[in-house]
Amino acid sequence: MIHFMIFLPLLGSLLLLITPVRWREEVAGFFAAATLGLGIGIWRAGGADLFSINWVPSLGITYSVALDGVSLTLALVTAFMTLIAILYASRRVANPGTMLALILAMETGLIGIFAARDLILFYVFFEDALLPALLMLAIYGKSHRMRALVKFAAYTLFGSLLMLVSIIGIKSLGGSPTFALVDLAANTVTGPAQTWLYLGFLAAMAVKLPLWPLHAWLPDFHEQNHDSGIPDLMGTLYKVGGYGIFRFGIELFPDASEQLRPILMGLAAFTALYAAWIAFRQTNWKRLLAYAGLSHMGFVALGVFSLNETAVIGAMYLLAFQNVYTGALFLAVGMLQERIGSLDTRVGGVMNQAGALGGLTMALWFASIAVPGFAGFVGEFSILLGAYQVQPWITFVAGLTTIAAAVYALSAFQTTFWQGRPLGGIKVADLHGTEWLVLGLPLAVALFFGVYSAPAINLIQPAVKTVLAALGAN
Amino acid sequence: MPESALQIPDVKLAAMLPILIVLAGAIASTVLGFNLPRRALTIINLVMLVLSGVSMVTLWDSGATAFGGGLQADNAAILLGLTILVGSIMTLLVSLDTAYRARVSFPEFDAMLMYAITGTLLIAFSGDLIVMLIGLEIMSLSGYVLATLQASRRAEESGLKYFLLGAVGSAILIYGIAFVYGATGSLSYAGIAAKASGLTPANVGILVGGALLMLAGFAFKVALAPFHQWTPDVYGGAPTSVSLFLSTVVKVAAFAGMLRVFGGALADAPGWASVLQILTAATLIIGNTAALLQRNFKRMLAYSAVAHTGFLAMCLLGTPQAGGAALGYYLLVYTLMTAAALAVVAALQRDETGMEIDDLRGLYYRHPAYAVALAVCLASLAGLPPFAGFFGKYLAFQAAFQNGYVWISVLAALTSVAALIYYLRPAMLMFMPDRTPAREYPNGQRTPTNFAVVLGVLGVTVLGVLPNIWYGWVQNPAIWLFLAGR
Repeated sequence: MIHFMIFLPLLGSLLLLITPVRWREEVAGFFAAATLGLGIGIWRAGGADLFSINWVPSLGITYSVALDGVSLTLALVTAFMTLIAILYASRRVANPGTMLALILAMETGLIGIFAARDLILFYVFFEDALLPALLMLAIYGKSHRMRALVKFAAYTLFGSLLMLVSIIGIKSLGGSPTFALVDLAANTVTGPAQTWLYLGFLAAMAVKLPLWPLHAWLPDFHEQNHDSGIPDLMGTLYKVGGYGIFRFGIELFPDASEQLRPILMGLAAFTALYAAWIAFRQTNWKRLLAYAGLSHMGFVALGVFSLNETAVIGAMYLLAFQNVYTGALFLAVGMLQERIGSLDTRVGGVMNQAGALGGLTMALWFASIAVPGFAGFVGEFSILLGAYQVQPWITFVAGLTTIAAAVYALSAFQTTFWQGRPLGGIKVADLHGTEWLVLGLPLAVALFFGVYSAPAINLIQPAVKTVLAALGAN
Repeated sequence: MPESALQIPDVKLAAMLPILIVLAGAIASTVLGFNLPRRALTIINLVMLVLSGVSMVTLWDSGATAFGGGLQADNAAILLGLTILVGSIMTLLVSLDTAYRARVSFPEFDAMLMYAITGTLLIAFSGDLIVMLIGLEIMSLSGYVLATLQASRRAEESGLKYFLLGAVGSAILIYGIAFVYGATGSLSYAGIAAKASGLTPANVGILVGGALLMLAGFAFKVALAPFHQWTPDVYGGAPTSVSLFLSTVVKVAAFAGMLRVFGGALADAPGWASVLQILTAATLIIGNTAALLQRNFKRMLAYSAVAHTGFLAMCLLGTPQAGGAALGYYLLVYTLMTAAALAVVAALQRDETGMEIDDLRGLYYRHPAYAVALAVCLASLAGLPPFAGFFGKYLAFQAAFQNGYVWISVLAALTSVAALIYYLRPAMLMFMPDRTPAREYPNGQRTPTNFAVVLGVLGVTVLGVLPNIWYGWVQNPAIWLFLAGR
């Protein structure tokens, strides 16, 4: 079942190429829904255990996949948001065949990343998720997309190639027979070599997170993407850095993680605050959201790097649900752009005519700035709680971000949706049809898991415990 | 047997058969060219190449030799020979369509190609330095003619440049062979390998000198920096089907020679590895950064060939077993992806200067299949999974890393970022919507070229998802342990 969940979207993406034009939306929707259904099935069955066969035996590369705990949570969120993206893309994008195929292809890459339990397999999926993202930007992007594209590719690939060298080093210096996580964890590298390899590995993850100073690709990437926000939604799902550090970083580099902990936590806290501060100055909704996402990722990084159980659980929780509400916000911005033809934050008075759009956007912003009762709060509070026990001062600095977040979110919301309606402004239509679902479902999820977090926590907690136990053993 | 009896040389037909078949094709093209149209010759030659491949496969594991080990059809030779044949077949397929447009459609073109292939096979099958040198010279001389055949100033210039610099390279190489012979008193790889350890200090000096001279000679042939300067002009100036041949088959053969000499005969000789590592580093930096600045797509592919030389040379820095296996895999993948990319260029270009990178804008909307194929080739050249280029790069990194060359692996990773940018830019331009009229040659889509493109694209995809199909053959360390012969 797990293989179906990983490769079904890719199959759908290929089938879409030969599907007649008028059935494409339905076929894409079917495949996305089926993938989500499979994911829920795996959840009900209590996760999918490790499945491992040799892929390239002579190189020690295995095809090892598992979906449990953290991976399953993230895979489920990915499948859910893919369905939402397809729902919206079918309505919004003219002639959406290519876009739908790319969304599905990307889903395979992302679920693969979360399922992989072999470093090379992880790398393969890691790069595979990149190709559809680049194509979406190339096909649907705006006029300066080439610069954004080159920047995005250069940053991410710079990181991943260093990671590749690191991966080779881990196996070669540690003497593990295969690249499977189990074997690598049993044969860890020790001493200074571990620190160097961790830095190589971290290069890839810090770019993806992204962590200051490797974040510069992010705002351009979002700004130059298609107005609808669908590529952005997939882009936010793209933030697999936090997961990578959690899954592979802590287990394979236990000593180096502890050694570098204060520096990395400091960087993370700085990223969170710095991004929030810059977000405040933005007048373009997409850039604002990009920096807001960056700020959240700083929180995630703070949690993961702290190596504290509560904080890591919070980080994974935030990582999962940040995708839901930030993704939905990108789509809401896309809807706004469709109505007023601009992404500027100083439009004014949209609320008068599009009350539902404004209301749902505001609720999603509340989720994003971690108002209690939404999923974001559970995550951010746990991170702060846990990280405080490790580095109180750094955590205090990071905590200031929550204030900054409220400032940038509410001021931008205020200038767009309230304020006076400019004279001669066009009439703005309110939500209709599937748009209600596209914004409503993510909001419902964020609200549900904000109030009743047990199902997700029950999934995440054991996995985090196992990983951190490996840390204590050394 | 009395001393005075006539010495019958050790001629065994079995080991020579693959080469003789190709040679027969060359001679047939020379002779029959007066009676048959060129297309018929090309088809005969394609059949010959396939037959040669079949005869190679039957030689698998036989360990046949001829001329007392001067020619050896061991498994390493067969694997490299098959790679050469794949590149040659793709060249012939492309030339079927484009030779007429490139104004090189006469029988001599085919004859020269087949002679060149004979030479490349001789290098791969060589068991001593003289056979290797003969193969190299046959290959190079045919190559000079091929580059000049087209009646245009650009082709003449590139051919002359190729000839002058190639001749210098050959001279240095021959000088190096003389030194090595002087130091060890032997020309066969096995003999050199046996004598290389345990020489007197004076002879070690001569051996090191010879090895370095040979390294420089080979560096000319494979385009290692700083001996690479002819490459962009020759690859860019020659007709595209010739560029395809020069950048794949000839390079594979030259690397086969390097593998034989440095991985086999001189494996234990001191000195050359540290120089090779500096050359590799320079190639990686120069090739990748120079490609970044190109405006012409064909020239960019030429620089990309230089950059790939750097990655291929990293394999030589590994132990013969790991490095040989990596090189064996990478060379096939490199041939497939480079040949397919140039085949697309050959089909779409308006004239033999290739296309500007900007001309590729919106190709996806005019020729969707070619655009996707070219994108796959570029992604593979860039080393993105799931295409085979990724495993090639991975194996090269691993071979160098495991043999202790950590910093060069890191350098290769860093320069790869530049590579990714120059591969991605055209790849992404193709998918950008564009309203200006097409700039491609209108009737480029022909079956043989398409077949070559499909072969390359399918090859890199299948070898990328299931690398074991080919790597399972080349990974056996026993193959590469006896590069010098037994």
